[in-house]
Amino acid sequence: MPITDDMIIEATGELYSRSLRKVPEDAKAALAAAMETETNETARQTLKLQLKSAEMAENKDTFVCSDSGVPVYFVKVGSKAELACDFKASIRKGYETLVETIEPPLLKHVTNPITLERGYHGKDMPIVSYDFESGADYVEMVCSPKALGSGRWAALELFTFPTLEQIETYILDVAIKAGAQHCPPVLMGVGIGGTFDHCAGLAKKQTLRPIGEKNPDPVLAAMEARLTKAINGLGFGPMGTGGDTTVLGVHVDFSSGHGFTPVAVCFNCWINRRARVRIWGDGRMEWSE
Amino acid sequence: MSVTEHELTLPLSQEAAQKLNLGDFVYLTGEIFATAGLPTHDRLLKCLEGAEPLPFDMSGSALFHLGSLNEEAEDGTLSIVYMNPTTSTRFNGHMPRLIPGLGLRATGGKGGLDAACARAMAENGCVYLSFLGGGAPIITAGIRKVTGIGWPEMISHYRIVRIEVERLGPLTVGIDARGNSIYDRTSQASLGKRASILDEMRAERDSFEG
Repeated sequence: MPITDDMIIEATGELYSRSLRKVPEDAKAALAAAMETETNETARQTLKLQLKSAEMAENKDTFVCSDSGVPVYFVKVGSKAELACDFKASIRKGYETLVETIEPPLLKHVTNPITLERGYHGKDMPIVSYDFESGADYVEMVCSPKALGSGRWAALELFTFPTLEQIETYILDVAIKAGAQHCPPVLMGVGIGGTFDHCAGLAKKQTLRPIGEKNPDPVLAAMEARLTKAINGLGFGPMGTGGDTTVLGVHVDFSSGHGFTPVAVCFNCWINRRARVRIWGDGRMEWSE
Repeated sequence: MSVTEHELTLPLSQEAAQKLNLGDFVYLTGEIFATAGLPTHDRLLKCLEGAEPLPFDMSGSALFHLGSLNEEAEDGTLSIVYMNPTTSTRFNGHMPRLIPGLGLRATGGKGGLDAACARAMAENGCVYLSFLGGGAPIITAGIRKVTGIGWPEMISHYRIVRIEVERLGPLTVGIDARGNSIYDRTSQASLGKRASILDEMRAERDSFEG
């Protein structure tokens, strides 16, 4: 059986709603682990409060944060998935339906950058990236809404034939500039190489990787461990009020490119808003995160 | 080791504000004002210049950078569905004038304020309290009653909401009434550590045998 418009509409709304209410299990585990190693008592209590907020949101079926951000989706279409839907139209419809029906209602965060007018809708909303997955007989959708709090500290710089030292120094300096601002402990996504546009996408996709999962590439795994230790050594701490826990992890990926090497860095706040579903033609929806 | 906690009643007295130290936790009971709007801060400054009256008498009060979904029911009952902090540094340009102009005894949100704001706070005996970002369930639970919605023609989180809170918190003292700032200290410290951290990273790269 093919995947239908109704299934995409349902998944679009449900993913956004879930991402606002449920802190992913890996993020909660990372916060709990940080409580064990954190030496600053205010910081330990702040981590505990973050876990309490996550628990209360789940129990009360409400939002962890009042800022629902803008809707951002990543779609992977399996090469063996059978589609009988207008995918783009259904995602738009799913978002529009969600905005009208979600309880509690959302605040108006979608902003026209020219007029600064704010509402629920706007040009290019929701923001969707499409990709394919060879051999899969399903469609996978991830929703990772983004707001100003952590979104504004993302950065991208273009280097020519940089050394690893130049790249890592840049990443550290982006973390210093973001400082206390992005609701730490954060998850940092880093993209290296490719082109300007591809590199930014690499960084964002790294924030969707499970926290605590070791990078299979030993060079990148060592780099991630080195950057995590270095940035936690800066001392900003949970909510930036001091401590040993500024990042829950640094996730790095690279792409081949030319001699010009973009390096992109972006952040997820401690909530790590992310919800994922796989949709099969027989109507099954497998939710995770 | 434990965090020092304070139970405070609003309006905050000069003496109570002076007793708070960086990193302390506080719980607030009494009246607060909340808004998350940049246009709101612009408008407040214009009020101080005489463009229009303030929506409320805010002297000696606590004004926090909190965004909320607030509602007025048909029978006139005011309520807040959820509330949560926004980034205070967005208002770095406003607060040095708003703190003395409104006579604020407390402000707050998340992420702190800059050195110019901290100076204004020291001159006026005002403290900065850090709310948990992503703490909507905890913060909303501290609301006892909404007693006023100023500038209702603005979108929800831009309005100025007057709220009675009960044990709102815990909030962390981020900048004290003497102008000492956790944010300034951690920021300076991070710059101070930068060179030695880069040295360590270099040594780790050099010894990598993956």
